[in-house]
Amino acid sequence: MSVIIWVAGVLAALSALGVVFSPQPLYSALSLVLTIGALAVIFLALNAQFLFVVQLIVYAGAVMVLFVFIIALLSPEAEDRVRVDFRFVIGAVVALGITVAMTVAARNGITFNASNVFRAQQIGQASDPYHAFAFDQSDIGTVNTAGNVQVVGGQLFTTFLLPFEITSLLLLVAVVGAVYLTRRRGTHTRPLRREAALARRPDLALEEDRIEVEVG
Amino acid sequence: MIGAFSDVFNVGRVGEDGIVVLFVKAVIVLLALATAAAYLTFAERKVAARIQLRVGPNRVGPLGLLQPAADAVKLLFKENAAPSGRDKLLYMVGPALAGGAAIFAFAAIPISGLTCVGGQLVGQGCNGGYAFHWDIIHVNVSLLFVLAVTSLGVYSLFLGGWSANSKYSLLGGLRSSAQLISYEMAVAFALVGAVILAGSLDLEKIVLAQHGVWFVVLQPLAFILYFAAALAETNRLPFDLPEAETELVAGYHTEYSSMRFGFYFLGEYINMVIVCAIATLVFLGGWLPLLPWIHSDWLGGLVGVGWFLAKVTALLFVMMWLRWTIPRFRYDRLMNIGWKLLLPLGLINIVVTGAIVAVRAS
Repeated sequence: MSVIIWVAGVLAALSALGVVFSPQPLYSALSLVLTIGALAVIFLALNAQFLFVVQLIVYAGAVMVLFVFIIALLSPEAEDRVRVDFRFVIGAVVALGITVAMTVAARNGITFNASNVFRAQQIGQASDPYHAFAFDQSDIGTVNTAGNVQVVGGQLFTTFLLPFEITSLLLLVAVVGAVYLTRRRGTHTRPLRREAALARRPDLALEEDRIEVEVG
Repeated sequence: MIGAFSDVFNVGRVGEDGIVVLFVKAVIVLLALATAAAYLTFAERKVAARIQLRVGPNRVGPLGLLQPAADAVKLLFKENAAPSGRDKLLYMVGPALAGGAAIFAFAAIPISGLTCVGGQLVGQGCNGGYAFHWDIIHVNVSLLFVLAVTSLGVYSLFLGGWSANSKYSLLGGLRSSAQLISYEMAVAFALVGAVILAGSLDLEKIVLAQHGVWFVVLQPLAFILYFAAALAETNRLPFDLPEAETELVAGYHTEYSSMRFGFYFLGEYINMVIVCAIATLVFLGGWLPLLPWIHSDWLGGLVGVGWFLAKVTALLFVMMWLRWTIPRFRYDRLMNIGWKLLLPLGLINIVVTGAIVAVRAS
């Protein structure tokens, strides 16, 4: 198992570098798909089978397909070099900070909330950091006996009901907003819009358009 | 300790088979799928011929049975013509992914019930002995696994269409990707009802939950929705817009030839098998026999494989039958059916099923 984790981890790291350094935007997006896939394999090796599948369906199967779609359709120019400017510095600092924070967390355990309801604690050896965590109230055996799906579902609809519902509401708002923004507005049909434009800037009209405007 | 757990509770068995067993299983599945895909093309031509009062291929070998072999040889030895402006890497990745994703998805499909070698079947696990699962990788979310992996196939269509640098392929790729994404929702929602009834995403458990009555009886609407959406997912008539021969040049694989084209074909036919296998497992009782007769030994397992294959074959025939009977939908109709008919009906089905299950449970 740990061999699989190492292979997938190296693959994830390499493909993440590919996301940043690919000259072609489409290759960047596809590298991200590979990263997501490698992470999914790590989840599977850790026996988080539900997470593995969700990672593939949601990110690789849905979100990234849209990314690839947009990139391929707009076909932006290939970037010739990496520019080191203000944004680059900000990004580098944030990435470094997150990396440090995650390393510290992986070594020392994480506390998710103040009342210690859902605290991940370190139970494994430092030499085996991949199996270092278990949730306070249920050890690994219980989670897997019930099956990941049941545990995740149970937690979502009890402990995390409010955040879950708020998130779903947020997504619904986003969907409605997207539909509203892309909807073709109202009653203006094509010729009407053309006439309106001609009325605004008659000097740009063609010869026959000008005649129409004068007659009309 | 963990090992003992997983035998009883049927979880966490990824890689629990020895490497040799896994390898043998994988080789058998690979060969069987490749052969099945080849002979499905043959069956399709025969069925088409019978429906159109023709004879069909009958020249190569007895009854034309060697036709698929001849086709394979032809595909392999044909010149591999490729457009010069193509994206070299992605142009190769496309067909490989089409075949690969489809074959990979089949790894999680159980073709028969759990067989205990040298042990006793207790409930859904083995008491001692070697628990032989009739799938390659046994995850406890195998239904979702199959859906997830087949959903990656959309990359092959899109990349194939895009990388060829041709407007015909690009349009074909766009059409097919849009169609696949739209109908994935309908497929997933149609399956949720059965999942609620079974209380599990494990295909083995879903089948075992149908011991008394198959889910096609309890979920007739979901079955119809699933089959309709599955036709669209596999680009079959009446939803074969991606490669509508009479409208587009050939769709996303316009610029492909030789064996690369063959891989797209392979992926498509294996996808048909997968779709029918899922329909069989979720709605038609999988390997459960029509007569109440089940054994936990090798014989029972093999008989189960027989039942499973028979049901899958019947569904495959229905797919071919539909292809040569129903005309193609227009593109806007196709989208309307997916989003405004199949999806709402699927949602209604989920709500009703969930309500009934909740009422009965309380």
